[in-house]
Amino acid sequence: MSFRFLLPAFFIIFSLHAQNDDLLKATTIPLELMIKSNAVVRFDNSNIEVKAHDRYIYNRKRIVTVFNEKGISDQGTYVFYDSYVKINTLEARIYNKNGNEIKKFKKNDFEDASAVSGGTLYSDDRVKYLDYTPISYPYTIVFELEVDYRSTAFFPQWRPLEGFYVSTENSEYKIVNNSGITLRIKTKNFEDYNIEKHSDLHYSATHLSSLRPEAYSPSFKTFAPILRVAMTDFEMNGVRGVNNNWEDFGKWMHDELLTGTEVLPENVKVEIKNLTKDANTDIEKAKIVYNYMQNKTRYISVQVGIGGWKPMLAEDVERLGYGDCKGLSNYTKALLDEAGVKSHYAVIYGDRDLVSIDKEFSTTEGNHVVLYVPNNDEGVWLECTSQTNPFGFIASFTDDRDALLITPEGGKIVHTTIYTAQENLKTTNAEVSLTKDGAITADVVIQTQGYQYALHEGVQNKPLRDQKLALSDYWSYINNLSVESISYDNNKEQIVFTENTAVVSPRYATKTGKRLLFHPNAFNRVTKIPTRYKNRSLDFEIERGTTDKDEYTITIDPSLEIEAVPNDISIENQFGSYQFSIEKISDHKLRYKRQFIRNKGHFPKEDYAKFRDFITSVVKHDNSKIVCISTN
Amino acid sequence: MYFNKLTMKTTTTLLLFLIAFSVQSQNYKFGKVSKEELQENINPLDSSANATVLYRNESIWFDFSGESGFVQKRSVHERIKIYNKEGYKWATKKVRLYNKSNSSSEDLLSLKGYTYNLVDGKVEDDKLKKDGIFKEEVNKYWKTNSFTMPNIKDGCVIEYSYIISSPFLGIDDIDFQFTIPIKKFDLSVKTPEYFSYNKLLNPKAIYHPKLTDSKRARQESWTTRRDITRSRDAGSYQSEIKFDENIINCNEENIPALKPEPYVSNIGNYKSKLSLELSAIKYPNEPYKTFSSSWESVTRTIYNNEDFGGQLSKTSYFKDDIDALVSGVGDIQQKTGLIFDFIRSKVKWNSFYGYTSDIGVRRAYKDGSGNVADINLMLIAMLRYAGINANPVLVSTRDNGIPLFPTRNGFNYVICLIESEGFNVLLDATAPFSTFNVLPTRTLNWQGRVIREHGSSTWINLTPMSPSMEATSLNAKINPDFSIEGKVRQQKLNYRAMSYRNAYAGLSDDGLIKNIEEDNAGLTVSEVNMENAKNSHLPLQLNYDYTLDNSIEEIGENLYFSPMLFLASEENPFKAESRKFPIDLSYPFSDKFMINIMLPEGYAIESLPQNEKLEFDGIGDFTYLAQQNGAYLQLTIALNVTTAIILPQDYQNFKQFFSRIIEKQSEKIVLKKAM
Repeated sequence: MSFRFLLPAFFIIFSLHAQNDDLLKATTIPLELMIKSNAVVRFDNSNIEVKAHDRYIYNRKRIVTVFNEKGISDQGTYVFYDSYVKINTLEARIYNKNGNEIKKFKKNDFEDASAVSGGTLYSDDRVKYLDYTPISYPYTIVFELEVDYRSTAFFPQWRPLEGFYVSTENSEYKIVNNSGITLRIKTKNFEDYNIEKHSDLHYSATHLSSLRPEAYSPSFKTFAPILRVAMTDFEMNGVRGVNNNWEDFGKWMHDELLTGTEVLPENVKVEIKNLTKDANTDIEKAKIVYNYMQNKTRYISVQVGIGGWKPMLAEDVERLGYGDCKGLSNYTKALLDEAGVKSHYAVIYGDRDLVSIDKEFSTTEGNHVVLYVPNNDEGVWLECTSQTNPFGFIASFTDDRDALLITPEGGKIVHTTIYTAQENLKTTNAEVSLTKDGAITADVVIQTQGYQYALHEGVQNKPLRDQKLALSDYWSYINNLSVESISYDNNKEQIVFTENTAVVSPRYATKTGKRLLFHPNAFNRVTKIPTRYKNRSLDFEIERGTTDKDEYTITIDPSLEIEAVPNDISIENQFGSYQFSIEKISDHKLRYKRQFIRNKGHFPKEDYAKFRDFITSVVKHDNSKIVCISTN
Repeated sequence: MYFNKLTMKTTTTLLLFLIAFSVQSQNYKFGKVSKEELQENINPLDSSANATVLYRNESIWFDFSGESGFVQKRSVHERIKIYNKEGYKWATKKVRLYNKSNSSSEDLLSLKGYTYNLVDGKVEDDKLKKDGIFKEEVNKYWKTNSFTMPNIKDGCVIEYSYIISSPFLGIDDIDFQFTIPIKKFDLSVKTPEYFSYNKLLNPKAIYHPKLTDSKRARQESWTTRRDITRSRDAGSYQSEIKFDENIINCNEENIPALKPEPYVSNIGNYKSKLSLELSAIKYPNEPYKTFSSSWESVTRTIYNNEDFGGQLSKTSYFKDDIDALVSGVGDIQQKTGLIFDFIRSKVKWNSFYGYTSDIGVRRAYKDGSGNVADINLMLIAMLRYAGINANPVLVSTRDNGIPLFPTRNGFNYVICLIESEGFNVLLDATAPFSTFNVLPTRTLNWQGRVIREHGSSTWINLTPMSPSMEATSLNAKINPDFSIEGKVRQQKLNYRAMSYRNAYAGLSDDGLIKNIEEDNAGLTVSEVNMENAKNSHLPLQLNYDYTLDNSIEEIGENLYFSPMLFLASEENPFKAESRKFPIDLSYPFSDKFMINIMLPEGYAIESLPQNEKLEFDGIGDFTYLAQQNGAYLQLTIALNVTTAIILPQDYQNFKQFFSRIIEKQSEKIVLKKAM
């Protein structure tokens, strides 16, 4: 499934003042900040002077000690720019561990490159960055930057703890507001960290120890301290706006960025009207339009509009047959308007992680655009960048999160579709035969829905050789698996993906003397156990619930006798449930049934060991064996 | 008999006629896209193709003008059929152009393109306009011209053409193969007789196109205006030259797609392509200027380059340091080790390749960083200064492909070879965990060219021949609750050690524990200890204690377990049914396990896996020996793979061999309750 991003327009971490020579020596770092760190931010001072609604000057001075290769990216020695950004100062100095200067870089020594990220064909953004090969570790870098911004929609954030494996000794953030414009500030997660507020516009943090990532931990930004700023009167690449709340901001987007972009050629209008004239409901019409759009367009990312935020004109999308998420959503909206179906452009984060737009604080954020079609209580969300996605299906990329709807009346926050554990269903049914040599042949049918549909359906577009390999990987625990046949059925109406396969494994069961041992759970085994932590420091999260149901009929060669069968199991707890049972239908026929449910949830770190135990027992029981003995 | 022959011939003629007829019905002129092409919904020769190049024409020639002399032009005309959405990416094209300065930059000219769709039985076209074309300065060396075609739908045909104008005489490789099939390919390369090009088709490719050579006379005339103020002879002059052009033509049909496979070092090594290397320039009345023609002369040209050979003779900058370092040391191996480690701690690699020095060895030494040549040429100079016979070896890295052709561009890397009585070693000081004869994987690409003093040169093999060893001893005691506890001692040598150090030498004990526990149900590791983690000249030793739950199964009265416990490999890495290209394992290896299991009280052995030896001719063997010794069960399990390259014809057997090993490793020991 191919979903794509809106341009992450700016992510600049951004300063100046007295420098303590001690900070240049790697030997003066407090021990507790060195543990689990690839680098330490010794000093980071951001100073922003807001001059007017369309201008601020950003000053930053930063001293970072880097301990190893992985810490190089923590230098933070880069700056993005475009025609609204003027770089006044850009320099860096390198000091050895004793604090002696060994190298100096001026503005022209920085590399200059196009800031096109993966998947984007063209963007007018550029980046200047430092390319320095460390000659020994630790070393300390002093980075100084002064930038004049003439576009204020993206305001420098403050993230005193910058990421995993990097600690912070001192960090300070200060705004001097000489513009008379009200600035809105939102701070998040400050309470858990050593952060001091000097005034509404001035903060500092000291001695923040680094964190390391842990399995199943929520994404870094959900628990890290962050300060965000929005100017109530701002300008984005020459377009002025008001932003007191989401309603204002949405209204501005509607009036200044979207209005006038949705004009379609006459013939298309007529065509849409004709196509939808016999449809009875809005949803039926929307389906026809969505299908029309999918057949007509493809995703191409070209970022030249206002800060990467204004969509391409609908008529250009029509003429060229391509656009990015903004252009394609806006085009689809224009088509729906013509069919008489109301819809709204919606800014969102497209991410497998559940990342929400902050409903309490309006600022320029999001990395993707989708379309929302209101329909009684439960509206329909349309992903317009995929040519194959089923109508209204958004599991795995934009499900279960807050999005910003742009309506003519203004912006509104709406939560997207949640797919429940029952809806994220995978059923596996198999007819298995075991021969006296331990070979199995099986016809297996896997059906997936919801989130699990998204995980499985991609295979259908691959060449046969890769489809066979994908199955061998999916059942990687079966040695010598050979795939005899594969067929797929993609029911886009019901959103069910069916994989029919016939497989053979010549020595599936293990021979030990006269006995054959084999796993009844041949086709849906959990084999991975979550990492063990002596001291877990972060909470953990299961973002989406899932249900797996399995039923296999196993026919055993008449020359074998069943000697032992594992006992039925049933476990249930806050994390989900697990059951399996083996029923003897006849002397040589067994029915294996299994159900495994994982619950969605956010859990405290104290419960992690219990969660790990649960998965460990699932792995153990999935590994249960039946023993047969040869009667010859 | 006679009759048979005749029939055969007739059939062939008829077939040829049919093919010729069907080809003729296609029109490959720009814009002449047929309905049949638009109606085709699958490539009949390769049904897995998402798109197909219906036609590609590549022409290379040299324009001539009085002011600029010869300018290389390369035109590309391509018609592509797109069958389905997976093929849409072929509708976007990125052309990379060299961009060093105004005078030596390449340009893309005369770009035009159309998309053709069949709408209600009629062919409709959409023109590629300015809004679909993008120019971008990537960095100081490169720029790109990209374009994306309008109105792409399933079944459409796109067609575009452009010309690349280049001030350089060097000709880029001509690819005959893409990851989609090509139906028809026409190539013409016309080069003035003044420039000699060596040509070579990739001999490792499975598909071989047929080239034809010819000559043609060409005449150019031009007018030179004389500057009136400087000359008494005002006016213009007519000049004329006559020369021959060498022409290569190639017309191919139905070229199969090049499909990548796992464990191939670089799929480009198997791509069908034509390389042309400028070997000499000979203008009228000027001496012959050669660049390359044999490996011998290529090597000499490189050696005479100041940025290569010149760097080897400089010694003053390191003299004092090396004198101090090796004073009083007589043993050659010890001396080499000291110098090798000294340079690795003093000068760091900046991630740039190259066989010529970038900033010069003297400055690299002072700055403490440099490219591959800065570092390894410095190493050679230091070793020579210390009286050791060290020479440079030119290498083409895996990414760069295999140099089968005498070209300077064939190489992109240099390492060091010491040849001395009983001490022949290859060295590369750019990698932190390399050691004597253990080089970073990027350099392990078939063979290298050693240049001895005075510039004579020969090939040497770079593929590691001796196996990299790993020996593991596993002690296990089965507790009354059927948990297992014990110790693991593991020793890794050579490449096995390097790859482990590359991945894990920087980890803390906790990190190592997590890595060992990963994916092993019920395993808890403690007291982990890695010896010689950073000293790459010594074997790497990894020791730890463990406890293991859930690995013994009690079914009925019996206990079942696999003796390799969590150390068994569970998956065959070779899953594909067949292969076209060789598997590259990088180096041969030898893994040995010595397992000692103390049986629980009150249990006796019911059955043991059979002892077995599997042999795989010329490639490897696997032995499995289990025996009881009182209360102990002892196993010796060994796998030797004696070659780094597995050929496609051996693939099936190799896959089976691996599959048998995995099966054997999963076999169970059955213990029975003693009466």
